[in-house]
Amino acid sequence: MPHQNMVEVRELMKVYPGGTRAVSGINFDVPRTEFFGFLGPNGAGKTTTMKILATLVKKTSGTVVVAGYDVDTDSKAVRSSIGFAMQEIGIDDLARGRDFLQLQGVLYGLTRREARSRTEELLEMVGLSHVADQRVGTYSGGMRRRIDIAGALMHSPDLLFLDEPTVGLDPQSRVAMWEHLDDLNAKGVTILMTTQHMEEADRLCRNISIIDHGEIVANGSPESLKSEVGGDVVQIAINGTGDELSGRAEGLVRERHYVDAVNKVVGGIAITVKNGSAAVPDLVGLLNEHQVPVASLSISSPTLDDVFLKYTGRAIRTEAASSDHTRTTLGPGVGLTRR
Amino acid sequence: MHIARETYFIYMRNLKARLGQPGVIISTLVPSVFMFLFFGAPLSGMTNIPGFPSESYEAYITGMIIVLAVVMNGADSAFTMLTDMLTGYFDKLLLAPVNRFSMLLGALLVSGTRTMVQVFVIVALATAFGVRFEGGILGVLVVIVFMSIFGVATACIGLIIALKTKNVEATQSSFLMFMPLAFLTTGLMPQEFLTGWFKWAVTVNPVNYVLVSVRTIIIDGWVWDSILPGFWVLAAATMVLVSAATWIYRRATA
Repeated sequence: MPHQNMVEVRELMKVYPGGTRAVSGINFDVPRTEFFGFLGPNGAGKTTTMKILATLVKKTSGTVVVAGYDVDTDSKAVRSSIGFAMQEIGIDDLARGRDFLQLQGVLYGLTRREARSRTEELLEMVGLSHVADQRVGTYSGGMRRRIDIAGALMHSPDLLFLDEPTVGLDPQSRVAMWEHLDDLNAKGVTILMTTQHMEEADRLCRNISIIDHGEIVANGSPESLKSEVGGDVVQIAINGTGDELSGRAEGLVRERHYVDAVNKVVGGIAITVKNGSAAVPDLVGLLNEHQVPVASLSISSPTLDDVFLKYTGRAIRTEAASSDHTRTTLGPGVGLTRR
Repeated sequence: MHIARETYFIYMRNLKARLGQPGVIISTLVPSVFMFLFFGAPLSGMTNIPGFPSESYEAYITGMIIVLAVVMNGADSAFTMLTDMLTGYFDKLLLAPVNRFSMLLGALLVSGTRTMVQVFVIVALATAFGVRFEGGILGVLVVIVFMSIFGVATACIGLIIALKTKNVEATQSSFLMFMPLAFLTTGLMPQEFLTGWFKWAVTVNPVNYVLVSVRTIIIDGWVWDSILPGFWVLAAATMVLVSAATWIYRRATA
């Protein structure tokens, strides 16, 4: 019977020579067929953890079991069971794409015939058949990522480690990569991915661990973590001047049973509700009924950035904080301030 | 997977990486031509000195040119490995379930192959300069094989330095320190003509024993008393260096 958890980590610690503590006694499991994310900023300990799991870095203490094998005593079995696409893309620039993949295949024990056949299959899958005879050094960033992931899949591993798989990709390539990863996971490949992109973790992972300074500070599905932060915020801009209309709107909305909180903001009101989309029709109807003119409306959902902020006291990346909010704007935007 | 199979695939990969760079032939050919031109005819008068062991100075310095070419390129496998480390491909190889010794052997055998090509080029060049090989075709083959082993031994030194420093510049500059080993020999004139500290240095320099073996096959043929000491020195040095490189490689990749 296949092992239920593909990864089991207990009290994992890594202290580098010189005393830098990269990982401080973390625990987590990754069940079979899971898409699991490790979310955290640079230097949080994500890559070190993943390299320990892949047998590339020796741990200081703790136990790590990957695909049912202990990384200390069965490192070769661990390496046979996993595919690993690293952050710093480890490919041979002088090799042709096709040769690179075939060598990966034979080094993982495939016969030459099997390696050739699997190479063509994967080249097709990652859309690189047309450049398979070009040197990898001539590939674009997106193509290099794709050939690297194809290399990690040559031996059809059940467990795939991806360290920042979309770093350096343009938005279009990133979305294409997400679709590839979704497909792989749907085919039963367990994926453990590190990322510092909130949007990426939210889009792909069924469960995540937020790691900071070598410690896991939160665990759970993106939805459950976000729900811990609070509900949606519906922001309504009101057409008119003065506080009178806003005050009236605030009073009307406060009576609704599903409203958790109402605050006046510049040019309108901000309403906290459990489910913003469901509340909007009733709120708009209510305000129209009482002649409060609605200029525009937006719904802000809590993001993983809010989760990170809650548990660590700071944003994961300042520049990411604004771009990762999921905001739905209805009507002309009037620059409402998000809560 | 069987070690021989793994070694073969890694060897072929490294060989292709080297073949993609024609520098091996050029870096062998250019200094060798210069050596024959600058030292061959201009110093040919040395052959008239009583006791000089050869009638052709080009024949006499062919051994030196071969040894120098091997030593000068001794760090090539180290550079391939360092490049792989810089690009992250080294980690990719470490991730594969292959024996670490296969990876090391795959790198060292490429150095052996590179040396074979170099010696072949220099032999062809020497022939063009009129050198006759007293050991015959068999002698040429023995020189090629013998120097390939020498190439593996020098590659071990390069790999050890690279694994310890993990730095291209440091590896390159430290290898320059080995150049005197090629010059502190009887490469340009026989030991009987040397005096003082240089004569003593030549006596204790293991590279000189290797050189004497090669030169003897070229200018005298099968004179075993002169050939065998170099064979034993090279065998011992290769065993020690391969063992040391394996030990350091395993420690570095554990």
